[in-house]
Amino acid sequence: MGSETRPEDSRGAKRLVDYRFTLANERTFLAWIRTALAILAGAVAVLHLLPLDWAQVPRTAVGLVLAGLAGVITVYAPLRWYRVQKLMSRGEALKMSVLPVITTFAVGLVCALVLLGNLL
Amino acid sequence: MTSSAEPPNEPFAESPDEPPAEPPTEHNGSGLQPERTLLAWQRTIALLVVVGLLFLRGSLVPGGDNVPEAPLVVRVATMAVLLVIGLVLGLHLWFRWRACEHGTRVPETGRPPLYLARPWAMAVLCAGVLALVGVLVLTVLLGL
Repeated sequence: MGSETRPEDSRGAKRLVDYRFTLANERTFLAWIRTALAILAGAVAVLHLLPLDWAQVPRTAVGLVLAGLAGVITVYAPLRWYRVQKLMSRGEALKMSVLPVITTFAVGLVCALVLLGNLL
Repeated sequence: MTSSAEPPNEPFAESPDEPPAEPPTEHNGSGLQPERTLLAWQRTIALLVVVGLLFLRGSLVPGGDNVPEAPLVVRVATMAVLLVIGLVLGLHLWFRWRACEHGTRVPETGRPPLYLARPWAMAVLCAGVLALVGVLVLTVLLGL
């Protein structure tokens, strides 16, 4: 038991990584994808589902911003997964990700726009 | 009172006469990571299909023409593509889950798997979400 130090599954890994960490990395990737899908659902709702009393331009703008944010997250999530995977296999420290900040500000901006548009 | 003499260490022990069950060595401290990852995949695939269904649904108010609608062909084709992606990912996970003996050990290594899905499955998932983003943006921009 434990004689193999380089299992088949860890291609490109310099050393054996604890499977709990790689699986947690995979779940983090999936959580980002679900975040993107939830934001995309918001975009679909604004653009195609709800009969809002908005003008065409703000409706399209809010929908496109949400869809674009979902696209950015979807592109970033696998890159982040790969980067973390490489850092873990080398045993280095993980770097901070800017994506939570971007997501927070973009969602906050959309909320503020919708709120202001409804109040004014 | 002798009830405190037996701490509830073994909640699944059926009777004190039986020999104690084998300790769950395979899951010791692992927190059922493969199962949690499988459930995360299932949630993600389900959400992908649900968002596709929302897009397929169109306006929530029937007959209302104040909501710009994507063409029906585009919506049905998008839904079909998303269903195929969900099916492929689900089958892949099912086979992987059986191949690694319900997440306990990969036959080649004897350890729990390092990935549940192969990286190409992640790429397929991302491609599906990006395709949905693209369809949404294009239908809105071209429909203006």
